[in-house]
Amino acid sequence: MSNQFIALVVPALLLFSAIFILLFGLSSYYTKNRGYYITLATLMITFFISADSVNELHSIEILPKYFNSMIVYDTFSATFISLFLLGGFLTLAIAKSFIDKTNFFTHEAFVLFLFSIFGMVMLTMSNELLTAFISLEIASMSVYILVGLNRDSLKASEAFFKYLLLGSFAASFYLLGMMLIYAQAKSTNLDVIAEYILTTDIHSQFLIIAGGMLIMITIMFKIAAVPFGAWVLDVYEGASLPITAYMAGVFKIAVFAFALRMFLHDYISFELIYDPLIIFGAIVTMVIGSLLAVIQSSIKKMLAASSVVHSGYILIAFASMGGATSNAASAIIFYLFAYFISAIGAFGVLSYISKGGEKLINYDDLNGLAKDRPIIAASLTIFLLSLAGFPSTIGFIAKFYIFTSAIEAGFTTLAFFGALSASISIYYYFKVIMHMYFKESSHVEIHYGYKVSLAFIIISAIIVLWGGIGTSLLLDIPGINALNDLSKFSIESLGL
Amino acid sequence: MSVLSIMIFLPIITAFILFITKININVVKVIYMIVTFIIMYLAIDLYMNFDPNNSMQFVEYHPWIAEYGIAYHIGVDGVSLGIVMMNAIIMPLIAIALYKQRDKHGYWINLLFVQGGIMGAVLSLDLMLFYLFWEVMLLPIFFMIGLFGYNKNHFFAMKFNIYTIFGSLMMLIAILYIAVQYKEQFGKYSFDLYDLKNTILSTTESLLVFSGFMVAFAIKIPIFPFHTWLSDTYRSTPIGAVIVMSSLMAKLGAYAIWRFLFTLLHETSRDLSPYFIGIGLFGLIYFGISAMSQIHLKRMFAFSSASHLSLIVVGFFIYDVYGLVGSSYLIVAHAISSAALFLMVGMMYERTKTHYIDSLGGIATVAPRFALFFVFFALSIVGVPLTAGFVAEVLIVLGAFEYNIYVGFLTATTILIAMLFMFKMISQVVYGEVGVAVENFEDLRLHELVALVPLALLVLAMGIFPNYFIKKIEPTAISYTMGKGVANHE
Repeated sequence: MSNQFIALVVPALLLFSAIFILLFGLSSYYTKNRGYYITLATLMITFFISADSVNELHSIEILPKYFNSMIVYDTFSATFISLFLLGGFLTLAIAKSFIDKTNFFTHEAFVLFLFSIFGMVMLTMSNELLTAFISLEIASMSVYILVGLNRDSLKASEAFFKYLLLGSFAASFYLLGMMLIYAQAKSTNLDVIAEYILTTDIHSQFLIIAGGMLIMITIMFKIAAVPFGAWVLDVYEGASLPITAYMAGVFKIAVFAFALRMFLHDYISFELIYDPLIIFGAIVTMVIGSLLAVIQSSIKKMLAASSVVHSGYILIAFASMGGATSNAASAIIFYLFAYFISAIGAFGVLSYISKGGEKLINYDDLNGLAKDRPIIAASLTIFLLSLAGFPSTIGFIAKFYIFTSAIEAGFTTLAFFGALSASISIYYYFKVIMHMYFKESSHVEIHYGYKVSLAFIIISAIIVLWGGIGTSLLLDIPGINALNDLSKFSIESLGL
Repeated sequence: MSVLSIMIFLPIITAFILFITKININVVKVIYMIVTFIIMYLAIDLYMNFDPNNSMQFVEYHPWIAEYGIAYHIGVDGVSLGIVMMNAIIMPLIAIALYKQRDKHGYWINLLFVQGGIMGAVLSLDLMLFYLFWEVMLLPIFFMIGLFGYNKNHFFAMKFNIYTIFGSLMMLIAILYIAVQYKEQFGKYSFDLYDLKNTILSTTESLLVFSGFMVAFAIKIPIFPFHTWLSDTYRSTPIGAVIVMSSLMAKLGAYAIWRFLFTLLHETSRDLSPYFIGIGLFGLIYFGISAMSQIHLKRMFAFSSASHLSLIVVGFFIYDVYGLVGSSYLIVAHAISSAALFLMVGMMYERTKTHYIDSLGGIATVAPRFALFFVFFALSIVGVPLTAGFVAEVLIVLGAFEYNIYVGFLTATTILIAMLFMFKMISQVVYGEVGVAVENFEDLRLHELVALVPLALLVLAMGIFPNYFIKKIEPTAISYTMGKGVANHE
């Protein structure tokens, strides 16, 4: 398959399926199961199509005649697209029992789900600020509605409204920033802007710098970095569990992907100006995120707050981009992959346990889980260890890359702060493990979800472990080295 | 796969298989014994094949994370051989001595897991590999404290966990820092111990890196200001895990000082050695005095082993070949004796359901064999002639006198202090009036004897024929001293 074909067929298939379900949903043949399986099949097929092209180095503009080089398909976008599709697939696959037990996953939910993935796919491919904005808004709008899917729940409506208002407000900064950049560089194309930045005296580029900062505000908002992330706890709490998993594990990655592309393309030469801001953001995000996570009593909110801390770790690597460009950038990609699989797994286990219940899962609700369901408890333990960065899981390797790149760029203190917040995170992650293993079970036997969901949880857990110790020495399955090569490839393809 | 890899991964893989299969607890115990006996056999075989004239042997090297030069690099030398042997010998004996007491799958699975983890940490010659095993061996201990521990064990499991992981993370930053410096000087990443020791660091840098490593090791050992987790954790921990912690993991911390700090940052270690001798001596006396005032048997032994671990640290830091050999010898000697003593504390608890010294007493009249072994091992910890502890302590004290007469004098007080707290404990627990809890005290059973006799013989053998054992350690110590200005008395 040629890359051009893949780049066109993946979004087209997603869009086609979405519209198909939209129409099919009105017919009397529609059942929830059919909608669910169509979505799942679309995601799986598109994943296999796009995963085909991640192993080679490539970068092409898609139909430059029609799209005016707004869209590029390179290894970078191929990697992230595969990640979103896999993420969407895993989220839905694990959430099967949740979806069956609840009544608010109507056909629109699947449509919106596909639309949001379509938006993210376009976002990583867009090489132009306006296209990126539109794709980002397609994805965001769909996610807003997905958050408020459960109309009967007051919390969900509140979360929806809060997220919608704040999100739209934050998006306006992006527009303003884009306008400033356009005012100076006379273009919104990333390549043209990059050329302008390189050829013009750096001291006369105030508008571009200011515009970049405004865009940074939107990005910080979307990834829930601390000064702009006040929405995150309420929204993650209000959204139903599969959607929370989707937002934390997949949607955030899309924003990071675009930020990474823009940063590497254009703003890398302003590293010195942005670094103090990013460093400050990283430290504040890690510290406040850790504090928030420590004080939560519900596991869902704890995971939400800890996702803020993880944004902080990634910001460390962003700050290190000036001193150790390629290592820091590939560290980010590796970290995103690690966080993605662990977060989807952890939230997935929660949704598997809760089976669509409205109730928040508190620490005490997990008491004795290890005795009732040892496999589930072990999987959740693996995900949490990975989130905590415990060696022998993929999360550790990811943290290792991040800290190494920070030290390489000369930010040893930043790495030290990272280690400090990692040691705080031991407390709240191990608290869950403690409740699962050490406390006596108080509830009666619960009937948990389906075997299929369980199988995907186990597969994710195995990926997490294999990503931490895997090596092609043992079995001929791509391990850490392959993943690392992949992220290196993605970064290299940006420069083509 | 070399024999060392089998020793690392056989227990871990077995533990994993036992975890995912649900089988009868008796089968689990049998499998545990088979596996640990295989390891013991392999270890004895290793000991026999160990060439005393060489230092690093049985080296195995495979690249792991190529990009960063991280490799699966393991090997054994005279100092690590001691801990490997202890790990291999003590583990099966725990099962023999305690097999009736513990009917939980997790207990034995975690012990197998921790055996593999410790083996890996001892044998690693790559810093990332070491870090991996160093952290991984913590997890089973955490689970054992939480699952099978005593009063407020959840709290202490968490405290122990956060405390040690905090130390490890500081070490991680230090490791990464030194590796990045290596990359800047040599153009590529490596985490291999023998590569990294060529890195040149400025004084401030090496001080910071040193403290990063030292925080991790000091917490694990523990030496003086980092001991606050110690006594409560030991009290709450089930006996199998206490044995692992006191006779293997703590020794591993002392060993890591020698293996990593003395190799990587040997000049800084040398410059800082007076401070650590000071801290060590203070700890030695302070922990000794704390041990005297304890009323809980496990807490008392916690402080007693902390006191001897401080002695080991002093032995390493006096930078003298006697001190090095003596400390390596004491690592083994103390591991055997403290394992045996904790095993006997476990047996005592099983019979009397108490750990408090004042409710015990007069065991000698009720159970003479038990008393004999108990006193024997207690005396070997004190360092009475003909026991292994004596040889080790004499060597360290000799080295300390070479260093400085005051240090020598203070080091020698360890024997005095150990005598004070041990005799106080012995007189209250073994002799004196028969306590209420002790009235129906059953003497040693056959399987308990089977576990204790080899340890006792080993203690005697190491005390009477020290040369046979020292000759395996000495070349390592001497090869280390070459060209580093360490006092060498040839």
